Order: sequence, then C-alpha cells, then structure tokens
Amino acid sequence: MTDSGLSTSNLVIGYSDSQPLHEPFNFRVTPGETLAILGPSGCGKSTLLATIAGITPVLSGDIFLNGARVNELPIHKRNIGLVFQDPLLFPHLSLIDNIAYGLRAHKVSRDRARVRATELLEWVGLAHVRNNRTWELSGGQAGRVALARAVAPKPEVLLFDEPFSALDSTTRIRLATEIAGLVRSQEIPAIHVTHDEQEAELVATQMMRM
Amino acid sequence: MTRERGALGNHAPVFVRHAWIAPLVFFSIFLLYPLLVLIRTAISADTLTALVNSGPWSIALLSTGQSLASVGLSLIIGIPIAGVLARYQFKGRALVLALMTVPFVLPTVVVALAFKSILGELLAPGLILVILAHAYINVAVVVRIVGAQWSALDPRHINVAQTLGANPFRVFRTLTLPNLKASILSSACIVFVFSFTSLGVVVILGDGSSTRTLEQSILRQTSVLLDFPGALASALIQLVIVTGALILAAKMRGATITLTHTHRTKVRGMRRSAWVYSIVILSALIVLTPLAGLVIGSFTSTQGMNFSSWVGVINAQDRFAGLGSPRAAVALTISLALITALIASAIGGLAAIAVMGRRTFIAAIALIPLGLSAATIGLGTLLAFGRPPIDLRSSGFLIPIAHALVAIPLVVAVASPALRTADSRRFFVASSLGASPARAWWTAYGTLLRTVMIAAGGLAGAVSLGEFGAASFLARADSPTVPVQIAKLLARPGDQAYTTAAVLSTILVVMTLALMLFIDRFSAQGRITVS
Repeated sequence: MTDSGLSTSNLVIGYSDSQPLHEPFNFRVTPGETLAILGPSGCGKSTLLATIAGITPVLSGDIFLNGARVNELPIHKRNIGLVFQDPLLFPHLSLIDNIAYGLRAHKVSRDRARVRATELLEWVGLAHVRNNRTWELSGGQAGRVALARAVAPKPEVLLFDEPFSALDSTTRIRLATEIAGLVRSQEIPAIHVTHDEQEAELVATQMMRM
Repeated sequence: MTRERGALGNHAPVFVRHAWIAPLVFFSIFLLYPLLVLIRTAISADTLTALVNSGPWSIALLSTGQSLASVGLSLIIGIPIAGVLARYQFKGRALVLALMTVPFVLPTVVVALAFKSILGELLAPGLILVILAHAYINVAVVVRIVGAQWSALDPRHINVAQTLGANPFRVFRTLTLPNLKASILSSACIVFVFSFTSLGVVVILGDGSSTRTLEQSILRQTSVLLDFPGALASALIQLVIVTGALILAAKMRGATITLTHTHRTKVRGMRRSAWVYSIVILSALIVLTPLAGLVIGSFTSTQGMNFSSWVGVINAQDRFAGLGSPRAAVALTISLALITALIASAIGGLAAIAVMGRRTFIAAIALIPLGLSAATIGLGTLLAFGRPPIDLRSSGFLIPIAHALVAIPLVVAVASPALRTADSRRFFVASSLGASPARAWWTAYGTLLRTVMIAAGGLAGAVSLGEFGAASFLARADSPTVPVQIAKLLARPGDQAYTTAAVLSTILVVMTLALMLFIDRFSAQGRITVS
C-alpha cells in the first residue's frame, strides 16, 4: 500500500509561528523502516517527536499516518508508541499493569491484557522480575519494560526519544539491536532520535541530521 | 567510639551539638510542667466518670461528622484549584496562589465574622455556616499539599498514557488520582484536625448544639461550669483523635513524591483556557467576597455608610463597658505578636538545628501542642503560672509563651526541611580552608538560617495575631487581645458592637496580610516553603 507508514508534508515545528525550530520537514517512514534523527541538544529533535505524537501542536504543514491526516487527532487516538529517555514507568502500577495499561485503554479485558503483558515481559527477558516494583529495576530493565508497554497496543508508529542515553554502552547496543529487530519483524515504522552515531547506525534504515 | 549525629557528625560545633538543651528546658517548664499541673488538678474519680460518660463522646461524634463534611467540601473546592495552579503557567498564577493562602492565615474569628457579614441574613447560625467557613479556611491546605504533589507529577507520564490510548478522563482516573492519593489523604487529615479543633468559627457561627466541638466544650467547662475533670476528659479524647489523624497525615505525607521539578505548561486552546480562567476567577471570588463583606460591614451603621466606627477605634474610645478600648487591644496584640515571634523563632530555630543533628525527640516534643488544643494549653499555662505561688499574669509573658507553644510546631515544620536543603559539603570545604567549626557551620548554614528564622518568626507572629483559644483563657477581661475582643463584641447586641468588630477584623486582616507578604519575600529569598 503506497500510503502506509508515517509521512510529513512541509511540517513546521516550534512553539510560536514567529520562531520555527527548523526548516519544513518532508520525510516518509514505511513499515519496518527506522528513521534515525541525529543532532545536537536543542535543535528540535524531541519537539519533532512531540509534534508527531500530538503533544505539541503543528505550526504548519501536515502529518499523515497510513494515509490519514492526523494533525488534529488527539494524542490518545493516534495509536503511537512513545519511548522517552526516562522509562517513565507508572510507579503506582505493577510491571504487568504498566505493560497492560495501553491494552486496557483499548478496552481489552483485564485477563487478556495481563496474559499479553506477561508474554511481552517474557519477550523483553524480564519474566524473572515480574513481581518487582518499578523502582526495583535497573535502568536497562526499566527501559525494556517501557518498550514492552509501548509495543503492547500494537502501535501504528514507534517514536524513540533518546531511549538509551542513560544506559551503559553494552546495554545500549544490545537494546538498539533488539529494537531494530522488533521494528522489522512487526513491520512498524519508527523514528529514533539520538545523538549517538553508533546507535543510529545500528537501528537506522534511513538517517537525517538536524 | 562516639555515635555520629547528622550530616556533620562530630565535626559540628559545640553550640550545634547542644542546641537541644534550650528547647528542652523551655518545653519542660512551659509545656510539660503545665500539663502535669493540669492533670494533677483535674484528675480524679470524676475524670474517669466523665470519660465513660456519653457527653464528650457524643460531642466528639458530632464534631467528627461536621469535620468530615468540612473535609469533603474543602476537597471538592480545593482539588480543581490545585490542578489548575499545579499544571498551568499563566499570568497572575502566583497572585492566585497567594490569594488562596489568605483565608488560612486569617484569624478564625475574622473569617467567622466575614461569613456572618455576607451570609448572616440568608443562613441561621448552624452547621452549614460552620462547614462553609471551615472549607473557606482550609481550601488552602488542599491547594498547597495536593498542588505540590500534582506539580511534581511528570507530564510525560500523561503523554505516555495518552499515546497508549487513554482519554483525558481515564488518564485522570488511572494515573493522576492514584498518584495524588497520598497528598489528598494527607491534606484531608489536616483539614479534619483543624475543623475538629475549631473554636473561633463555632463560637461565632455555630448554634451551640449541632456544631459543638470538644475545644468549645473545654472552654465552657473551665470558664463557665468550672468542671475541670470534665474538661480534662474532653481534652484527652481530643488528644487521642487528633494525634491519630496527625499520625495518619504524617504517614501519608511520607508517601508523597518529593518535589524535585515542577512541570507546568502554558494554557493553550479555547476549551482549556476557559476551564483554567473560570477556575481562577471563581477562586478569586470565593476568597474575596467574604472579605469584601467584612470591609463593607466596617463602614456600615444604622445611618448608612460612614466612618464612625473607624473614628471610634482610632480615637481609642472605650464604648463598651468592661472590654477595654479597641485601640489598646490592637496595640497589645501587636506587642504580643512581636514577643511571640522572638520566642518561637529562637526556640523553634534551636529545635530545628537539634533535629538536623538527629535529636529528633525535640521535634516530637515540639509537635505535642499540635495534638493539644490551644484552649488546653491556655488552661494549663493559667493553672501553672497564673496563680500563687507562681503568678506571672501581670508580667504579660503568659500569652506570648502560650502563643509560642502553638506556633513552634509550625516554625519547626518550616525550618527543618529548609535547613536540610543546605549542602553540608560547604561546611567541610570551609573547614578545609581553615575555618573554625563555628565559622564553617555559619558559612554553610548561616545565611539560610537567618532567612528561615525571620520567615518562621513572621509566621509565629501571624499565629499570635489571630490566636483565640489560649488568649481567651489568659487575657485579662479588661485588656483582651483583638480576636478575644471581636468574639466578645459579637456576643453583645447592637450595630455598634458589630461594626466595631468588623473594623477590628479589617485591621487584623491588613496586619496579617502585611506579615504574610513580608514572610513571602523572605521565603522566596531562602527557597523555603511556608504552607
């Protein structure tokens, strides 16, 4: 299908019309592809992701998801998986309930959601810590749970905002490889913001510098 | 090997290591001794009879119902305001936050009179007026405690939940509310305590039956009925219930998120702007309407609007037999507030330093007055030092000492966390550069301590300005403090008494607000929280 994936058309981002953060964006990421965006701090990488996710309003231009224009679509209806630098796990919920959160929001029954969450916890290799609280996890483990949580509702696009920058290089490389595999196997379009060249090369099928 | 105490261990200078002595001596003489005297005077077989009597228990039950209703209303009004102030950055936000604090710092008798001014003709004295006034006073507690936790919640959690498909209501129900639970319960416990121990409001706005509190009972039992065993029984029941609520509040407070960053966003979009600004306007109206009623009341007499009551107060006219002149009451109240500020900041400050050195038992003793009623403190002080062989009533120190006891828990609560924010490594840096322990300590903590003490002293002064329970025991009948005089004026018939009370209340409002602005200035400099 020609329209599948994520694309932008003359997308201008920023916080006021008078001060756009970058030249208009025109790119396309098809299912199974990862666009890695490299750039120094403050250049607008995270704002681009926030705009695609619907957190920050579009200044001008358009965002298309599988052919549909989503500029005005509320965040909770865009079906986007978002992973920040901090795992941002919900501290009052168990690991399983964190992962099941999106499924429950999509009206999946509690039992089915928990079964799926358990499968995903196994998939990220953390079945052995399923009874731990969020704050008892290491940085790498919390990052994996955040990934499982983002993937659980089968998002139409995955956005990674420097997801590994707080991790050591070994864990970073391992997780980057796993994410690249996931994006390919699940055929999800992904954008991966980073300032680490090595990480970008591991995950990217296309690259953009800001 | 000696045990290490605090971040500085045994490196702390001598005066810091012994900072606990002065507060302990003060509390022993002015808190523990009066309590012992009170218990010795009152305890008898009659106390036990009073304890098993249904009287105080039925008042406690009645008062619990009233307090729970006050808590409910405070939460209903306070939570949306807390949300708006915590989540959004907009012009005038700081002003609205300051405005919301105003009712809490105002003397309770003033709030009561303000409510009487605007609702007195619509509602008869009774439960509804009392609950409304309690909610008015305590919304600030909810806004401050819940708001602090709300602004510490990372909005990216909400973004993540939304990207996972949760609509705004679901986000609030499954994410925001569970994370605010501890602060909501903590603020509810504190509002409960304030409503349960209320005196000024129930004296002025209550109907004497459905609105009675144990605090009011204690006052009546000791000053009218002279039933000391009964008063002790009421005080004991109150102590148990209030301590329970405070322990629960402290437990909940411990479960709240530590504020490291505040996350506020600009108000964007029509619907959101409408929501935010309607809450802001509504909160301003809620706070200002009773105060406006009060000020208008001070200018109103049977001849219409005029300045006669103000002129009467300013000219020191003694128009009410046996109550002293209003101007003298203002002068007395100011001087008592100053002495209270000095005593409370000195003792409270030393107690906070002692707590830094892990002498936490001092904090535990300093918090005792929170569980006692102000009336109990006043009564104990009167029994211990207001009659031979030790009669200090004519010295003028009894009221500021009782007020200091009421204010010290607040001083410690403000000063302790503020002092903990100072980086102890500065002490070691100064020491390594050759500074003596005392000089190094002052280098690390001195500036902050000075700021904190001034702000905490101001807070103690504000408490003293409006304090009613202890002063109603300790003030001499012919020279009452302003809050006592207001309550006595309201008990007298006639417009003149009412408008004079309104004038005095307006003066108290101005003095309290001036003091709070002063505190706010120092708090901002010292990065401390007065809430």
